[in-house]
Amino acid sequence: MIPAEELAQRRTALRSLLARPLLTAAHDPDRLVLVRRHLAELRAWLTRETGWRLTADAETARLFKTVPAGDDATHPARGRSGERFGRRRYVVLCLALAVLERADAQTTLGRLAEEVLNSAAEPELGFAFTLDSRAERADLVAVVRTLLDWGVLRRVAGDEDAYLSAAGDVLYDVRRPVLATLLTPARGPSTIGAASFEERLAELTAEPVADTDDLRNQAMRRRLTRRLLEDPVVYYDDLDAAERAYLVSQRHAITRRIEEATGLLAESRAEGIAMVDPDDELTDVRMPEQRTDGHVTLLVAEHLSGRDGATMEELRAFVRQAAAAHVSFWRKGVTEPGAEDGLLAVALEKLTALRLVEVRGDRVRGLPAIARYALGTPVIRGQ
Amino acid sequence: MTDLPQAIHRGLQPFAHLSAPNASLYRRVLRVFARAKERFVVHLRPEDVAAELNRESDDQLTQALEKLVEWGNLRADADTGRVTSVEDFHRKRFLFQLTAAGQAAEQAIALYEEAIGRRGVLQSVALSDIADQLQSLVVFAGHADPDPAKVHLLLLSLAERFSSLADNAQAFMASLRRAIDFSDGDVEGFVAYKERLIDYINRFIADLANSGARIATLLTELEARDHRALLRLAARREAADAVPEGADEAEAYGRAEAAAYASWENRWQGLKDWFVSRDAGRPSQARLLRQSAVTAIKQLVDAVGLLNERRSGRSDRSADFRTLARWFAEAPDEAAMHRLWRAAFGLSSARHLTVTAETVSAWKDGDLPPGTPWRDAPPVRISPQLRRTGSYERRGRPNKIQDRSQARRLLLEQADREAAETAAARARLRTGGPTLLSELDVLDPRAFRLFLTLLGDALAARHPGESEVKAVTGDGSMEVRLSLVPDGGQVEIHTADGVLTGPEHLIEITDLTGA
Repeated sequence: MIPAEELAQRRTALRSLLARPLLTAAHDPDRLVLVRRHLAELRAWLTRETGWRLTADAETARLFKTVPAGDDATHPARGRSGERFGRRRYVVLCLALAVLERADAQTTLGRLAEEVLNSAAEPELGFAFTLDSRAERADLVAVVRTLLDWGVLRRVAGDEDAYLSAAGDVLYDVRRPVLATLLTPARGPSTIGAASFEERLAELTAEPVADTDDLRNQAMRRRLTRRLLEDPVVYYDDLDAAERAYLVSQRHAITRRIEEATGLLAESRAEGIAMVDPDDELTDVRMPEQRTDGHVTLLVAEHLSGRDGATMEELRAFVRQAAAAHVSFWRKGVTEPGAEDGLLAVALEKLTALRLVEVRGDRVRGLPAIARYALGTPVIRGQ
Repeated sequence: MTDLPQAIHRGLQPFAHLSAPNASLYRRVLRVFARAKERFVVHLRPEDVAAELNRESDDQLTQALEKLVEWGNLRADADTGRVTSVEDFHRKRFLFQLTAAGQAAEQAIALYEEAIGRRGVLQSVALSDIADQLQSLVVFAGHADPDPAKVHLLLLSLAERFSSLADNAQAFMASLRRAIDFSDGDVEGFVAYKERLIDYINRFIADLANSGARIATLLTELEARDHRALLRLAARREAADAVPEGADEAEAYGRAEAAAYASWENRWQGLKDWFVSRDAGRPSQARLLRQSAVTAIKQLVDAVGLLNERRSGRSDRSADFRTLARWFAEAPDEAAMHRLWRAAFGLSSARHLTVTAETVSAWKDGDLPPGTPWRDAPPVRISPQLRRTGSYERRGRPNKIQDRSQARRLLLEQADREAAETAAARARLRTGGPTLLSELDVLDPRAFRLFLTLLGDALAARHPGESEVKAVTGDGSMEVRLSLVPDGGQVEIHTADGVLTGPEHLIEITDLTGA
């Protein structure tokens, strides 16, 4: 293989892992093969630059991405149609995993449901789950489908829709090796005794404190590399003084390594650094994007980039107007009273996720990188 | 009163109680009878049984006794002793005792339990005994005329010691496997047991290594000193006790001696196989035992490791997931849950902004310093179509009538421009008489392209062997006349695109379109 091809393959493998930290032979066979082919180099790079662990065998590859405790809530678990998980799904997911951990090699949806019900009934959980309503059954099915997507379960017979209509059951294989790779933190949650949520999260994500300058620097570089690999924009204002000083002085070296390994490009500006993707693949939130939600997002971004900020009420009014103006292009129902709330929420969620705006209470403010978009000049074909 | 059905011998089912519900009660009752029998007490009243079991003499016990009678384990005889209450008198009263079948069943069960519960023990004492006895044999082998009785007794006790060692070793290996298997069940018991077991195996391995080597040396030494003579002594002594059979007494005696000798040879071989490896393919039993013991320790350590892992926080993933479930249930709000989700599972995708090739090249061309604010850097251009409609493609039905005047005007302009350029090129190429190729001036790209077409047409029209050719271009607009200059050598034509080399020609180009 020529070196260029080798490099391209390695980049694809690393990008695959960054986008999907859990690859299975059933769902991503080609990507798994690439990861396995370049396993040694990838592992060496990830350990050196990020401190992340990478494991891979014939069935599964897993990149154990650790994250800072931070307050970034823009990475929820999502169902098949992109809807965010709520409390019930999160709890049921964890209970199902706890049950499967103790289960035999095979199980059925019915039995899983029964055992989840049993563990949900434990008083210390303080959580009501009875499976009486269709919504609860649907949540259970969504959780099971998530497990299928991860490869923790493999369907042998039956389908979940039959279960939903209470007409049948589904048989699954439990894939223990995948189950064993799901948790990322170095520390098991069950060993943490803290009582408040923030303490628990802090202990869960805590990293050992380095005790020499060299190690401290290494830890800092890894921390910064991880953020550049994971986040759309890293603003200098979000870093502490030491990190900022380090990133400014090492900017070139750090971003060059990331560019080399991933094919991302560094957009270094006065306010921060964005590792941008010329291929527009390595992301779960896109901008610009087509269709109603993408268009609203674009218009809100444009509106915000032109001014110092806006209140929610102003933005709602703006979206209402935009909906009226684009009613022929947008999906049905956008001009109905109250529709602007949903549209605005989606737009702000996307823009927040991309670190382009900041919502503080009732006020929304554009962040510096929002200025990186502008309207193109019209292109007339044939000229 | 004796209307309890006494079991008929043929229908006995003395083991039926083992698989019956309440088996444990039946077992306890029968053990009471067995123990009583050891004390030479034969008959027991239900009250006696109840007292032994530390319970009330209730209906359940009475039913159990009756059931056992039915199965043939017990027999019931009418109790003719005096009673102290009216109720007792009216109740059927019996004395119970074990039947022969019941007794045999009890013994069989006891034997079974002993065999199953047997924890083989390794006898390191046996090893040193064997070594000592072999040492004595070596001494006897040195004597010219050893005492047959002493040699025989020595060999007998050696054989006895050895077979018990071998039996125990076998049982020990089996129980080791059990010990390791049961690690799934009784964890506390296992952890307590493993310390002692490891100590014990350690000690035995040390003994086996020491005494085993000594025994192997002694065996070799004995063989060198003709151990067969000693075996024969023993065989002869055993044969002396043989009962004379058949007509020929001497022959019978000889047969007995040979049989005894063969048996001793066999036992000797067994002993040797135990302690001396024959070759690499057939290691000695002692070595196998040592290996198994070492393997067993290793497995034991693994099992302990597994247990510890299961107990320590890290690997009890089930507990981890349950804890996470509780944290999710107790999380203050949705945002907190999403944060916990990302931190615990780390399954989210990386997220990056997009960029277009034009923007990247604008950055490069601008040679932007990294201190440029975002506001001042070349931006990513959003397609106006997307900005206007939220879609890159045109939506809906196309316009029925399109105004093409703009496009037509463009086309016309383009055609005019091209015509003008071609005319200029022709004018530039016109030679106005024969000219040497080498005298052509530097040609601009358009004129040169035209010239190449002419040259190609002319050369294609030339037949082999001819040195002169006249050709008209495909569109009939120009005529070219081309003749080879003999000994003209190679010439170069300079153009904006590069240098054309070829043999010198005389060329004449005429524009046929007039002017």
